[in-house]
Amino acid sequence: MDDDCREILASMRTYLDGECPDDLEEVVVRHLGDCPPCMDRAEFERELRAIVKSKCKDAAPPGLLDRVIGTIQP
Amino acid sequence: MAGGSGSRGTVRQELTDEERREVFVRDAVPYLDQLYSAALRYTRNPADAEDLVQDTFAKAYDKFHQYRPGTNLRAWLYRVLTTTYINTYRKAQRRVDEVPAEPEGEFSLYDRISSGTHKPAETEVLERLTDEEVKQALAELPEQFRIAVYLADVEGFTYAEVAEIMETPVGTVMSRLHRGRAALHRALYQLALRRGLVTADEEGQEGGAET
Repeated sequence: MDDDCREILASMRTYLDGECPDDLEEVVVRHLGDCPPCMDRAEFERELRAIVKSKCKDAAPPGLLDRVIGTIQP
Repeated sequence: MAGGSGSRGTVRQELTDEERREVFVRDAVPYLDQLYSAALRYTRNPADAEDLVQDTFAKAYDKFHQYRPGTNLRAWLYRVLTTTYINTYRKAQRRVDEVPAEPEGEFSLYDRISSGTHKPAETEVLERLTDEEVKQALAELPEQFRIAVYLADVEGFTYAEVAEIMETPVGTVMSRLHRGRAALHRALYQLALRRGLVTADEEGQEGGAET
């Protein structure tokens, strides 16, 4: 990993979070286009987030909706 | 009360109790599953999670006149949930505001996994972890990290929204997210090792896996 990649890595998190300022985002996108190892890393991070997201959901147990409705009487 | 009867921006106050309840049931209650998921990640216990959700809706309904129509209702509900959890349940569970004092250093799951498996199977390895395993890994995180990572990565809130929900500056959110993700990735790596989904590299432990 060279210095360019190291620098990009620091911005990559905010980029993947969609929170990068436009000018910095441009730099990151350009680097990813030119650098397959960084692109692999970015793809991995993206998929990792998607996996965590998809595996951490639960549905409310039956009965909780009624309990909730019961507490919100006018 | 103070304003003239024709003033704008006081829609909520003009509703009758019954109308207000209808709006709440229509707009807020559909977030039940999402809030329950969050409550379960926060409390790590189904019975506490159910109570927390019920309290959250009761509080939110009481304060519903404070919610400004047109602003983000989901974020507002998460804020009520998070505040209720921190003020009530965490105290009841007698857990301290656990944040590790020392940063644990960098950890790259990508480097660890790609050095221990055959490319390009890195994410396939992670997909084989079960839902329960990923939830367990998240549950092991210190509370402030767990909440920040959950809100940002599972619920998709922006830094600014997480900051508002956790009542903390954006810089703190970014730091909690960074450290929390690193801790989560470490836990996932340990799980994958234990399951034999990856093989340890030479050091077999933490440490620079730079190539």
